[in-house]
Amino acid sequence: MSTDPTVAAESPPGAQVKVQFITSHADISLPENTGPILVPTHLRRYGLSSIINHLLASEKPIPFDFLIAGAFLRTSLDEYLTANGLSSESILTLEYVRSLIPPLYLASFEHDDWVSTVDVLSRSSPLPQLSSDAAGQERILSGSYDGLLRVWNMSSQILATSSSVGDGGHTSSIKAAKFISPSQVVSSGLDRTVRIWNYNESSDHFSAELEPLLELYGHTGSVDSLAVHAPTNKILSASTDHTLGIWSVNKSDNPTAPPQLLPSRRSTSARSKRRKTTSSDSTTPCRGPLALLRSHTAPVSSTVFSPSDPTVAYSVSWDHTLRTWDLVTASLVDTRTTSHPLLSLTSLPDLHLLAAGTSARHITLIDPRADVTTVSALTLRGHANAVVSLARDPESAWGLVSGSHDGTCRIWDVRSTKPSTGAVSGEVGESVYTIKREDQPDGVRKVGGEGIKVFGVCWNRELGIVSAGEDRKVQINRGKDVMASSE
Amino acid sequence: NIDPESLLPKLPSPEELRPFPTTCATLYRGHEGRVRSLAIDPTGTWLASGGDDGTVRIWELLSGRQIWSMKIDDEAVNVVRWRPGKDAVIISAAAGESIFLIIPPIVDPETETTSRDILDAGWGYAAKSTNTTASASVKKEPPAKWTRPGTLLEDGGVLVKATVRSTIKVISWHRRGDYFATVSPTGQNSAVAIHTLSKHLTQLPFRHLRGLAQTALFHPSRPILFVATQRTIRSYDLVRQTLLKTLSPGARWISSLDLHPAGDNLIVGSYDRRLLWHDLDLSTRPYKTLRYHSKAIRAVRFHQGGLPLFASASDDGSVQVFHGKVVADLMENATIVPLKVLKGHAVRKELGVLDVEWHPREAWCVSAVPITPASPYP
Ligand SMILES: [Mg+2]
Repeated sequence: MSTDPTVAAESPPGAQVKVQFITSHADISLPENTGPILVPTHLRRYGLSSIINHLLASEKPIPFDFLIAGAFLRTSLDEYLTANGLSSESILTLEYVRSLIPPLYLASFEHDDWVSTVDVLSRSSPLPQLSSDAAGQERILSGSYDGLLRVWNMSSQILATSSSVGDGGHTSSIKAAKFISPSQVVSSGLDRTVRIWNYNESSDHFSAELEPLLELYGHTGSVDSLAVHAPTNKILSASTDHTLGIWSVNKSDNPTAPPQLLPSRRSTSARSKRRKTTSSDSTTPCRGPLALLRSHTAPVSSTVFSPSDPTVAYSVSWDHTLRTWDLVTASLVDTRTTSHPLLSLTSLPDLHLLAAGTSARHITLIDPRADVTTVSALTLRGHANAVVSLARDPESAWGLVSGSHDGTCRIWDVRSTKPSTGAVSGEVGESVYTIKREDQPDGVRKVGGEGIKVFGVCWNRELGIVSAGEDRKVQINRGKDVMASSE
Repeated sequence: NIDPESLLPKLPSPEELRPFPTTCATLYRGHEGRVRSLAIDPTGTWLASGGDDGTVRIWELLSGRQIWSMKIDDEAVNVVRWRPGKDAVIISAAAGESIFLIIPPIVDPETETTSRDILDAGWGYAAKSTNTTASASVKKEPPAKWTRPGTLLEDGGVLVKATVRSTIKVISWHRRGDYFATVSPTGQNSAVAIHTLSKHLTQLPFRHLRGLAQTALFHPSRPILFVATQRTIRSYDLVRQTLLKTLSPGARWISSLDLHPAGDNLIVGSYDRRLLWHDLDLSTRPYKTLRYHSKAIRAVRFHQGGLPLFASASDDGSVQVFHGKVVADLMENATIVPLKVLKGHAVRKELGVLDVEWHPREAWCVSAVPITPASPYP
């Protein structure tokens, strides 16, 4: 095929280009023998989306996005050809995916203090789950710097608040909290404890109680992150004391609490507490860890169970490493060293990747499998401050959301990449959408994310993207089922 | 003096010298009035600050959250420093003529016990030595009074107070965490004091110091103390009690000193806007003079955790960050490259950035700013 440079420079009206449509989603794929199709070059995403819907004979049109050479098409085909110096006689390969929908703001839940962490209980939470007939009983769990846990219903009512300091509650700020089941919660924080609570709702579901069940001692620093695996009753905790704790949800499985770490209210005098083995004046039982995993050389910021094997865990640390642990033998399996402190972690199971947020404003994707030697598979750039929280898209193997001290959450599709420029090596991804804090005006950049830092984010199929921050709010943004606005 | 610009073409470009701080990551808001001093704890997770409001505060370094605040004195807190070492958690702070030793409520019970033992060890010793002095019937005012600060402060974790004769501006810890030096520039013969924590004992080693003492610093590995007067820096062998070296940086009024962690290179900041690098193996004159600030330099600081970085803080409202690479080879000189000017600090009443501090491992620095808060730059 000969190329005519004048064609690329200025396409005449009615110009056409051959495109080959492909997709990696079986449910929306075209008949196998669909060859290249001639389409007008003035088409943009919307027009191309209509063609696919026509070819699929969809009853209800699905909005699609299009990837060319790994990047989303944001212009007309004509503009793309010109920008890349291509002739309209080339054949373009267009990968189509369901359109990402703008994550519209839905609601905010006001707190008295900074909100450090958030979790969701719904019918589709990965673990635990509400029963399928429990529609409308979705719950949001928030943990705050005021030391309190709160459980909210979707009408922004607080159903339960945890006990305060001196009444069996946390004695300092909460940094992490998660549902273990619809009736149990785990939390941890600056007071160095991990605490398990019973959560009981009244029969009309308009009020509830968080009852202290177990206090877990073993860490000597703030406990900043938790992971729960309900089927095996295991909890993992990540602490600034450089260790990772393994605990059981069942009280009796855990050993006696280390007496030297119990607070003085639990012993008759500060001097004699080393010799005391049991607690004296608290009603909540205390226990110690099944194991403390030592190897990190700086605060451990986050931990997750392996999505394919609950006897394997991953952790990330300020010491720049991602470590793989065998929980059965409580031993270190592998260490991957990166260039920056790692502050957050989530897994992308279908891709066999882990995503780690850094203090250096980016997210690095790591393949933890032993036979893979590349440290970073992909770098996601765009945040203006530390990336301290990550969650994966419940509907897409390629999607994730990040929360940052820059005051935004960003949504990423790991297929939206371009080759890197300058000092950065490997592929670089750009965020697809940016979620601002609700009351943040456009175009105003807060130095150091002051007042608006995001500390926690989770992404739930029913509730959407739920984020928590320095603005004392839990903010909910739509995460699915919104039709794209036409162009 | 060498014009720094003439050196630039031969040096590596800043891009090749990453990581170094570039953008402001966190503001720590809460002090009323100026923040005078900053210190990051040995584990790199907490920031301590002291200011004109007489408070010492502790912040989560990453989030900027204030975790603790205590008013320790009616006068300004001029300096806060963590005791070195990870066995115990102790903050030293100076306000007026007093040093306060504090166990902040951020530690586990076991570490708290260890820390209390370290602070309490000297009470018995102090009592014993007082008896000895009394029996010898020598009526001489001691260089410092070590006392309990009173129930209100003690309940807040402020457990020991040592009062010298004039306002303390500098605290410098010896790496083992038992000795610390304080400098009271107006104190004349008692300007430089060396305190032994385990004995609650204060000694005045320099009865006849020539010039007004400005700052002092322990050598990172050898028993050597550096003492700066307005124009001169002297190093003393603490074991033999002899003068080792006299350095003449060529500045009119020295404000600050810091030693490279290897111990043979010294940086000096001056109120007459100079930043001087001394190679202690080379000469008593500076190896480099850097004149980039337009106002007085208040603080100079080497990164102590293995990164080839140093910084200067100035009343011009900026922190300047430099690459400073020291090679083990005695024949090869240090490489110095200006990397970044960190701006955006408000200047109030002629005072700009009063202190700067590096993270113990990362390329993060924290700066103390008048009125507006301190900020770190990862
Ligand atoms: Mg040398």
